[in-house]
Amino acid sequence: MEVEQLTGNLLQGLVLGAVYGMATMGLSLIFGVLRIVNVGHGAFIMVGAFITLWLFNAFGINPLLAIPFAFMFGMGLGLIFYYAAIRKLRNAPELATLLVTFSFGILLEEVVKFIFGSEFRGYNWIVGKVNLGVTVLPMSKMYACFGSALVALLLYLWFNKTRAGVAMRSVVQDSEGARVCGVNVGGVYAFSFALGIGLTVVSGVMLTMFIPVGINPYMGGGYTLKAFVIAVLGGLSSPYGAFFGGLIFGLIENGSYTLFALIPGVEPFAMTRFLSFAMLLIILLIKPTGLLSTK
Amino acid sequence: MEVAMKRKYFKTLFIIFTLFLFIVSGYANAAARSPDKIQIGHPACLSGKYAKAGEQAVGGIKACINWVNNVYGGVKIKGGKVPLVYKFYDSESKKESVTSLIARLITVDKVNVIFSPYSSGLTLRGAPITESRRMLYMDHGGANNKIFQQGFRYIVQTIGPASRYHEGTLDMIRMIDPKAKRVALAYEDSEFGKMVMDGAEKHSKKLGFDIVFQRTYPKGVTDLTPLLSALKSSKPDIVLGGGHFEDGQLFNRQMADLDINVNALSLIAAATLPAFYEALTNMAEGVMGPSHWEYGVKYSTEEAKKAGIDWIGPSQEEFVDYFKKAVGKDIVPDYHAAEAGAQVLAYVKAVENANSLNSDKVRKALGKLKFMSFYGNWEIDETGLQIGHSMVDAQWQNSKRVIVWPIEAQTGEAYYPMPTFSDKSKGKVAVPE
Repeated sequence: MEVEQLTGNLLQGLVLGAVYGMATMGLSLIFGVLRIVNVGHGAFIMVGAFITLWLFNAFGINPLLAIPFAFMFGMGLGLIFYYAAIRKLRNAPELATLLVTFSFGILLEEVVKFIFGSEFRGYNWIVGKVNLGVTVLPMSKMYACFGSALVALLLYLWFNKTRAGVAMRSVVQDSEGARVCGVNVGGVYAFSFALGIGLTVVSGVMLTMFIPVGINPYMGGGYTLKAFVIAVLGGLSSPYGAFFGGLIFGLIENGSYTLFALIPGVEPFAMTRFLSFAMLLIILLIKPTGLLSTK
Repeated sequence: MEVAMKRKYFKTLFIIFTLFLFIVSGYANAAARSPDKIQIGHPACLSGKYAKAGEQAVGGIKACINWVNNVYGGVKIKGGKVPLVYKFYDSESKKESVTSLIARLITVDKVNVIFSPYSSGLTLRGAPITESRRMLYMDHGGANNKIFQQGFRYIVQTIGPASRYHEGTLDMIRMIDPKAKRVALAYEDSEFGKMVMDGAEKHSKKLGFDIVFQRTYPKGVTDLTPLLSALKSSKPDIVLGGGHFEDGQLFNRQMADLDINVNALSLIAAATLPAFYEALTNMAEGVMGPSHWEYGVKYSTEEAKKAGIDWIGPSQEEFVDYFKKAVGKDIVPDYHAAEAGAQVLAYVKAVENANSLNSDKVRKALGKLKFMSFYGNWEIDETGLQIGHSMVDAQWQNSKRVIVWPIEAQTGEAYYPMPTFSDKSKGKVAVPE
């Protein structure tokens, strides 16, 4: 029975992990290119969740179709924030960018609260289930998982196979050298920030496909914490590394529950949280650049 | 000369004695005279995290005060009829504000009783202040039993204690389905959640149920899949759980995702709220939740007569009308309003029985008080814990909340067993034939 449960939980963890990975890619991309830690990361995830909720409840739009809309909205939001504040703070002390991104988060939370209120909301998208024997997976979760994997793949191809992607990598490696070679470094920074925010907002759509309830203006906080752990796992500045970090995190989070449940007197959930953050601490001590980093 | 001196001496004595009699009789008259007003002090939660519950509570208190002053004619004390005056400030749902506002209400505003703020945490925070000043402290928002295990003498509860939240649900299932045996308990890892779980565990065992699963989950949880997978493998007939609104939503949703079909599912704090059904739609059909009060309960003067208990206060419809006028909105009061309103009635009845505003005397009278109102029964034990009031159980039936328990309050029969999630996804609703 425990083996069956463990297998079921690992499968669920893999699906959830893909979504976690997607939710971290934007954070890693922004850190990788601009060296800025987006402390308001979770608030952008929340924006994506509200876009899905609004489109579904008001117009009956399928959450899958909300993805391009959320991406464009996120890119626009990213460009506004970049030109309004980030551009001027590119060379400012780290504390300044930390405070600015923190204030972005607060700003977004309060605007969304003003428009939608602070209640916990949800939507009910029924698209069938797959019974795998050891567990049952709703199709909405499968879409979120495969959608996240597809985005990670596209990002990888874009970085490695397109001129724009190569230009972005060149800025990461040596911004002065890239400038000398004719790369519009300022434009790359703006586009990277916008892309990072766009991906994060899309991850909000994916997360509601996994968990379509509990949508509220302050839902992002918990995901920000998890995203930092996953970013460290995935190598901090590598967006597709973050995707694999998410998979590992999901597997550990769900799989360890079954194992901790075998210990008498232990509340497994309390231990899975402990394990996640103990893991972060150990990785930072052993390999501060991140577990999957090549540096 | 000596005679003159003596006369002067007796004259002085006479004046002093007369003055003494005058003062004493003045004091005696004042004590016998009814007061001009009776002031209720309240550190309300009108903003911050408990603003919604706080607004309801203030509306409920105002509604019942208006009923007492305008329909009942005032509080009968020392031969007079005295109006109630409501003095409240916004505590912003903050602990530090609660303590300072209670001190202000007692020392500056000279109120006669303090009504607690919403939530167990804030109620507990105010208790030492009222105790140290020997002030009666009436609790309509703190359900945690631990408040009443601290040895406080002046606190009295109207809201039902956490340990009794799921008693009614279990009683009802035992009556409907004597064969149901396997109970799973999964509550939030909080003081409140654990208190409800302890009560449910004890009552399950008392009724002969087997506890086949018992675990907690942390606050702010975003995925319950691992816990629910383990719960599923324990094959329960009945699932009781929850903690707050957000995890209640998640609990129901993920039970649907994992196809965990049980005869009954009851979730505290979430399942009775309209937003629960709005988010889950059909997936919430047949799901139950305990509530302190629901609009539509059948408590009435006739029910009180049948039970041989005194009735006090407005009818349910009168209360709703007064509430709407008090808040200035066309909204139906929820249980936060009802329990706060019922507390006004308990205080009024106790003051009349004690014929005094002295906290010790009123507390003693509250200890002996037993009555029914639109809110249901009211009775406390020696610690001040509410033992008379029964929770009602509401069930979602065709997108409406139907009160299914207790029998004296029910507006419809329970749908049992709950439809499967597969049937619900095809549009089946939980309407009894």
